[in-house]
Amino acid sequence: MFTDRQPRSFLDPAVLARLAAVPLLARRPMVGTVSGRHASPHRGSSVEFAEYRKYVPGDDLRRLDWRAFGRSDRHYVKEYEADTNLRLYLVLDTSGSMEFSSGGVSKIEYARRISGALGYLASQQGDAVGISCVADGIVRTLPPRRSPAHLRLVFDVLEEAKPAGPTRLPEVLHEIAETTRQRAVVAIVSDLFCEPEALATAFSHLRFRRHDVAAFHLLDPQELAFQFQRPTRFLDMEGGGAIFADPVDITDRYHAALEAYLDSLRRVVLESAVDYHRVVTDQPYEQVLARFLVGRAAGRGLR
Amino acid sequence: MTFLQPWMLVALPLVALPLIIHLINQRRFQTVRWAAMQFLLAAKALSRGYSRLRHWLIMALRMLAVAAVILAVGRPLSRGWLALAGGGRPDSAIVILDRSPSMQAVAAAGGESKLDTGRRQLAESLATLRAGRVLVVSDPAKGPEEVASPEAIVELATAGPVAAAADLPALLQSGYDFIRENAAGTTEIWICSDQRANDWKPDDGAWAGIRDALAKLPQQVRIQLLSYAAPAKGNVAIRASNVRLESLGRDRRLVVTVAVSRQADGERATIPVKFEIGGVSTAVNVDLTGREAVLKNHVIPLEPSAAARGWGRVSIPADADTADNEFFFAYDAPPPRRSLIVAEDPAAGRVLELVAAIAPDKAASPVDLVPPGGLAAAAWDQAAVLFWQGPLPEGRDAELVQAFLDRGGQAVFFAPDRPTATEFVGCAWGEWTAPPKPATAESWRTDQDLLANTLAGSALPLGDVEIRRSCGLSGDLVPLASLPAGTPLVARASRSEGVTFVATTPAPRDSSFAAEGVVLYALVQRSIDRGLAVLGGARQADAGPAASEIAKACGDWTRLAGPAAAPSTESGLHAGVFSCGDRLVAVNRPAAEDAALAVADDRIDGLFRGLSFQRITGTAGDTDSLVQEIWRAFLIAMLLALAAEGLLSLPRAAAADRAAKTSRPLEAAA
Repeated sequence: MFTDRQPRSFLDPAVLARLAAVPLLARRPMVGTVSGRHASPHRGSSVEFAEYRKYVPGDDLRRLDWRAFGRSDRHYVKEYEADTNLRLYLVLDTSGSMEFSSGGVSKIEYARRISGALGYLASQQGDAVGISCVADGIVRTLPPRRSPAHLRLVFDVLEEAKPAGPTRLPEVLHEIAETTRQRAVVAIVSDLFCEPEALATAFSHLRFRRHDVAAFHLLDPQELAFQFQRPTRFLDMEGGGAIFADPVDITDRYHAALEAYLDSLRRVVLESAVDYHRVVTDQPYEQVLARFLVGRAAGRGLR
Repeated sequence: MTFLQPWMLVALPLVALPLIIHLINQRRFQTVRWAAMQFLLAAKALSRGYSRLRHWLIMALRMLAVAAVILAVGRPLSRGWLALAGGGRPDSAIVILDRSPSMQAVAAAGGESKLDTGRRQLAESLATLRAGRVLVVSDPAKGPEEVASPEAIVELATAGPVAAAADLPALLQSGYDFIRENAAGTTEIWICSDQRANDWKPDDGAWAGIRDALAKLPQQVRIQLLSYAAPAKGNVAIRASNVRLESLGRDRRLVVTVAVSRQADGERATIPVKFEIGGVSTAVNVDLTGREAVLKNHVIPLEPSAAARGWGRVSIPADADTADNEFFFAYDAPPPRRSLIVAEDPAAGRVLELVAAIAPDKAASPVDLVPPGGLAAAAWDQAAVLFWQGPLPEGRDAELVQAFLDRGGQAVFFAPDRPTATEFVGCAWGEWTAPPKPATAESWRTDQDLLANTLAGSALPLGDVEIRRSCGLSGDLVPLASLPAGTPLVARASRSEGVTFVATTPAPRDSSFAAEGVVLYALVQRSIDRGLAVLGGARQADAGPAASEIAKACGDWTRLAGPAAAPSTESGLHAGVFSCGDRLVAVNRPAAEDAALAVADDRIDGLFRGLSFQRITGTAGDTDSLVQEIWRAFLIAMLLALAAEGLLSLPRAAAADRAAKTSRPLEAAA
């Protein structure tokens, strides 16, 4: 059900319709408020058998397994898995560097598309959706809600997000980990231009709080290739100083530094069990999201 | 470096083109708003050593390529090892050729001689340099000779080998005179020589004058020495001396002393020495162990019917230098050993008469005692030597004595009782001094001249002769023997080789020359021998100015033996036997040519100090050209520079590949 009446530039109904075929699942049990399609850490009333438990006084007599009593002459209560809804917490990086574009889609626009689609998909399956725009702090935040009206607010936030200021993503993630008490799927959409070691502690913190962390690492093709023909004065989009460099002189060392960063980040996400996706902004976002959703559907059943 | 088109070098500032382009490129930078600053900062912090080095290396190679192209277009010339020497196309090139016998040495059997190699290399080099005028100086007497083209140097008849020593100072002076008189523009003087000391005469006072004169010339003069100083390996020289005809009854025989020498010690060698006299050859082996072997007084019997006058040749097999493998000699019945004695002191005159009258070989030795005032009537044309004890001649007497000296006669002057201020041949007697104790000669020349060692090698006992009083001497003198204070006892006049002074008399009150008769006897008889050398019907002469003078004085100078290719204009410079009227003259290379004494390089540098001078070392038979165009080398250098630049630039492409690889999705890593 599409509840938003306003046309949003970052939403493509055709893409959303195709992506809706694959459910958005959490990799960890979620604690929701209503029944949903996600695994819960608690026992409930689904049709999926979980375990036998000894009867204790006070248990509902209707849940006694009389066949087991007949076989063993002991009272057992039959328990079933519970299904619940999840909270999708979108963390959108709105630092100045997200505005970068080498000609195609800017990173912030790409982030809007991913975040919007994820929010829509979650909302469609009855999950709560919240969002935080972060830069050198939490710029704007909406807590997760299930209502379609709330989704419209989320879209408004996405639409109004303006990249500005420096990145303090690790500190912001720590803050989110501290303030989000209930388990949630935390989807970070950012260029992750910060120290991998600092990110490692932030990811660990989120994991400690039993959040399912997913990261969409956005990179522009030019940031990877660094192909310049002329001497260039590089202006920092996050307000830092300028650097003058001759590409002939610096390209090799830029690539060396980039590779070292990516290697380090790869190690960090492996150690932190982050659902990491490196995304080059010239890739179709539908493909990125499809891979993300399919990957999670394959891991269903983990509790 | 020399260039055929030096004006092209004005484009050399274009070498800076890559640098200028680089600087312009730096100035037209673009400004980009950039997100991934952390990698740029990290890249800046990384070591820049290799990257910077490569960057500048690429720049240097581009500049090198541009420079190589410009230099190649300028048509550079290589000048052997001196390729970096400055210079351009000369207006005139003066070639000074050392044609002495030592320049005929070859490096390998059948190879090209030093002189031929030098002439060929010079012809090639000057043709390449395209010199305006080419002049050859091979004889200081004739001066520079212009040739139509550089190639003509090889064929020039007057540039061929001679037996005379080269007189480098005189040759250079001749070249200088040409430059000064013809106001030639940029001039190159090419000297082709083997640096032998007897040709260069480094102690000659003329060098300083030539050097100063060349330095003061307004035009640019460059001097290039093409040096072939390496000695000829295994070269052996032969020389004959003391050739005399002896008659024993009806039998005649020729007595010759032959010396075989080499320039360095070597293994024992047996040298076959061949004599050719009147078409008859005889041979004898000489064992050479050290540097020299002497065959003393070798007797060659002559046919009874043979003429008393004749000539011959002594030779050894050809070796590294064929110019010193033969020696010509002429002989004749010895003329009377006539001496003239003019003595104011009868005691001294008596001693001289006794000593002069006893010939070593019992030959006739008439002695004419000439009274003062009777000089005009003396038999000057038959006398070999004049012994004079008295005041130096003056007036008419001096003219007579001078004429006698000019025709080759010898004169020995003993100190007069009362010295006068009269000068003769630039010398004059001083005052008598009588030391308290009789003095003896402290040193004397034992290697040559009148007081040389005997043929047996022992020194004359001059140290035993007591000098009770001596007379001072002044003027241009070469001392042959000196007293303790350095006072000359026996001296030769510098201006006239035939004049010897003895600063005392043989009278017993002045010296013990009479009592110790050996020294006086040797001095007197050697003087007579010297005088006889020009008197007889056969004489020996060193090739060079002396022989040229004889040839010039002689109306009919006909070659009897020797190299046939010698041009008639170079009479006296070639070895051989020549007839001069009814006399025979054997001309040979000077004795100093047989010595391999080369002037050291730094000494030669000193001779040309202050001038633009370069030395190019060559070897006989060297087929390389001294000067050649080397633009191909520069083009190759340019290609190499561009290839190296391309190789150094390649890593950029590799980095792009790596960047493309990195841009692929890597989410699988998670």
